[in-house]
Amino acid sequence: MTEARALQPETHRTGTETTISVEQIRKRYGGHEAVAGVSLEVRRGEFFGVLGPNGAGKTTLVEIMEGLREADSGTVTVLGRSPWPRNVALLPRIGVQTQSSAFFVRQTAREHLSTVAALFGAPKDAAGRALEAVGLTGKRDVMVENLSGGQRQRLAIASALVHEPELIFLDEPTAALDPQARRDLWEVLRGLKRQGRTIVYTTHHLDEAEALCDRVAILVDGAVAALDSPHSLVAAGGAPTRLLLPAGRLSPEAALEIEGVDRAEVRGGSLVLETRVSGQVLTAVDRLVGLTGVQTRTATLEDVYLELTGAAAGTTAEGTGGTRTTDGTDDTEQQS
Amino acid sequence: MTAYAALTGAGYRAQVRDKATLFFTFAFPLIFLVVFGLIFSGQDVQESGRPYISYIAPGVMSWGVANAAVFSVAFTLMQWRRDDLLRLIRMTPTRLPAVIGSRYVLALGVGVVQAVLFTGVALLPPFGLELKGSWPLALPALVLGITAFLTIGVVIGSLADTPEAVAAIANCLMVPMAFLSGSFLPMDMLPSWLQTASRVLPLRYLNDAVSAALSGRGGTGDVLLGCAGLVVFTVVFGAVCLKTFRWSNRV
Repeated sequence: MTEARALQPETHRTGTETTISVEQIRKRYGGHEAVAGVSLEVRRGEFFGVLGPNGAGKTTLVEIMEGLREADSGTVTVLGRSPWPRNVALLPRIGVQTQSSAFFVRQTAREHLSTVAALFGAPKDAAGRALEAVGLTGKRDVMVENLSGGQRQRLAIASALVHEPELIFLDEPTAALDPQARRDLWEVLRGLKRQGRTIVYTTHHLDEAEALCDRVAILVDGAVAALDSPHSLVAAGGAPTRLLLPAGRLSPEAALEIEGVDRAEVRGGSLVLETRVSGQVLTAVDRLVGLTGVQTRTATLEDVYLELTGAAAGTTAEGTGGTRTTDGTDDTEQQS
Repeated sequence: MTAYAALTGAGYRAQVRDKATLFFTFAFPLIFLVVFGLIFSGQDVQESGRPYISYIAPGVMSWGVANAAVFSVAFTLMQWRRDDLLRLIRMTPTRLPAVIGSRYVLALGVGVVQAVLFTGVALLPPFGLELKGSWPLALPALVLGITAFLTIGVVIGSLADTPEAVAAIANCLMVPMAFLSGSFLPMDMLPSWLQTASRVLPLRYLNDAVSAALSGRGGTGDVLLGCAGLVVFTVVFGAVCLKTFRWSNRV
């Protein structure tokens, strides 16, 4: 696509131009309001995350932006145009990752991508470049039915990139990938951002959102509960920093004596101190018992997320620090 | 490459790489033709004094062509919707006529190959079909027949969400229709009320038109009547298609 090609190859900065503008969008299914008055803007070149629990309205909101659904009320503008009804002038500028089953049957990876490229009117070499971008060049002659889960996922992403769109919608792009493939894909995504493309991305992986996104919107019950850069959200969230001391070094009672320690308890072989003034507490700990073996866990986007989504569910989630995994299990700490 | 050419190429590759579909499209009707043709080899239908093969060859051909049209488009549509491929196509600037056109050309191509194959086998000595001079009229009849049965296939593919449902609906429709429209049993052997009742079935019109053209069981008027009937069914089921078509299985 000529427009996409014309992008500055090394545009790192997020522009001030608006790529997507959503104003007061509402969408109701029967008695359930899936999207309840969402307004947001995605800037050109931005990596924008849409987070939220299942059923929070992420998919509906994104599908309205993609032009797959019509909002009941409100306005949506994508690249200066309305995506609804189906706008064939707009579609070549947008790439959408579909389910990793959306392949033409009994085709090789390359044949599938060439077909998709032709549907977009993209040039002949587009399929080869998209395969290269997602690291599937070696699998280009494998039938789509014989690709592994992770390879299918990457092929689905390649299908969204093949026509070099300015705006890319990705849905859980790293869901079926192993950790190494996931990191590789992060590099692909960062590369797309460096090329000046705008990426809207839904995910449950909060560490990933924090690592990749310029800004995230956290949806709860069809409304935006928070919208900012991950850094600002974490800073504003006020979740405490945790210091982990090897157990026995200091008693919880003694630790509570330190000024700035809000909580102290023994968990999983460590004495865990919660504080909002970690520098001050670290100095005090250093003076008392030394810093050998002391670990620091700063608050993460996950803490903010759990607070916002947990509050909506009626249970205030307790922040757990930087090592929580997204399925709710905690791999370093046992919660009491 | 245009979207139309790419879709046609992908459809062609999917077709020739699927051995099961190839079998059911080409070999399966041929089995009926060979079995019925050999059982009734050299025999005539009492009621009309015409050779069996002049009924069976056009009958099996119409059924085989109609069946392939219904099943291929119904399966493809169900699968494209289930696998989200319809959504992918929906998100490209490809216009619907290019998508429909590619499927149409593929279906016509399959129909032509079937017709040539089945006629060629029926002409062999053990079966002894005699082609009438009016045989080229079978071509427009087959094209209209494929068109009508494609619209039926689209309706089935829109209603059914699983391969099992497609097979169940399509078989329930096509197998009884084949017997009642004279594909396997000569129409002249059926009671007259059934002959009249079968006028509500699209396959009856395809059978009549192809029979009239290939084996002279009826004249040009019968070909025209059959073609007209098929056009009516195309319009009716085309309208139902527009009502039942869904882009996605999700709400």
